[in-house]
Amino acid sequence: MAAATTQAALHRFALFGAVWIVLTSAEPGGMLAGALAVPAAVWMSLRLLPARRPVVLLRLALHAPRFLYGSVAGGVDVARRAFSPSMPLDPGWIAVPVDLPDAGRVALGAELSLMPGTLAAGTQGDRLLVHLLDCKAGFDAAIPQEAAAMAEILAVAPPPRSS
Amino acid sequence: MADLATVLLTAAGLCFFLAGTAGVIRFPDIHSRLHALTKADNLGLGFIAVGVALQAESWAQVARLGLIWALALLAAGTVAQLVARAALTDRAAAPDGAKRGSRR
Repeated sequence: MAAATTQAALHRFALFGAVWIVLTSAEPGGMLAGALAVPAAVWMSLRLLPARRPVVLLRLALHAPRFLYGSVAGGVDVARRAFSPSMPLDPGWIAVPVDLPDAGRVALGAELSLMPGTLAAGTQGDRLLVHLLDCKAGFDAAIPQEAAAMAEILAVAPPPRSS
Repeated sequence: MADLATVLLTAAGLCFFLAGTAGVIRFPDIHSRLHALTKADNLGLGFIAVGVALQAESWAQVARLGLIWALALLAAGTVAQLVARAALTDRAAAPDGAKRGSRR
């Protein structure tokens, strides 16, 4: 538990430090304020979002290209439907069983909301409510894969239904 | 060469913003509209950020554009879920007046 907190603190220190350097263009004059602001941000983030389990950063980095591709495909798909005169839509809802901790579900929901044709709307029991832009297009096939990838990033057991 | 790429990329970005707006106007219900708003607009911002980054004079400007896009992505993914959820509970409560009080 303490090890997870230390690791998370180091990760977040690196992240917020990088954000500070970007915001100040690495000006030497901004370093003193950063030396105060970055530890304060780390402290606050650990209070608001305590480190429960370490995020596997390698898995997160490996997942980035897939996410990028998915968000481009999602944007192109919705643009095509918006411009198409016939506007092919068949909106509907599905409830997907997702075996992830709460934070993982929120992250999965955020990711799905940028992937083609899926939009998360919170949970119903232990199921993730997902809105589909077109029920016949098979957008929901990607959800178990994304859930499995999120489980790997969070280093929890993969969901049993990743068929 | 960089100028041409900037023109093409920002033009593509604007097309996606236009698509997002068209979707918000044309799509039939609030959840379908959210798809258009989050996905198309984020891709549009991504294209514009890459296009503008080609004109940047320093790494810091490029990094700042990347930061802006990453924060917009994070905000869109989070807010889309919150709006979708709020619209869902509103709609569930709307037909039945008695349910309104139990809304969170």
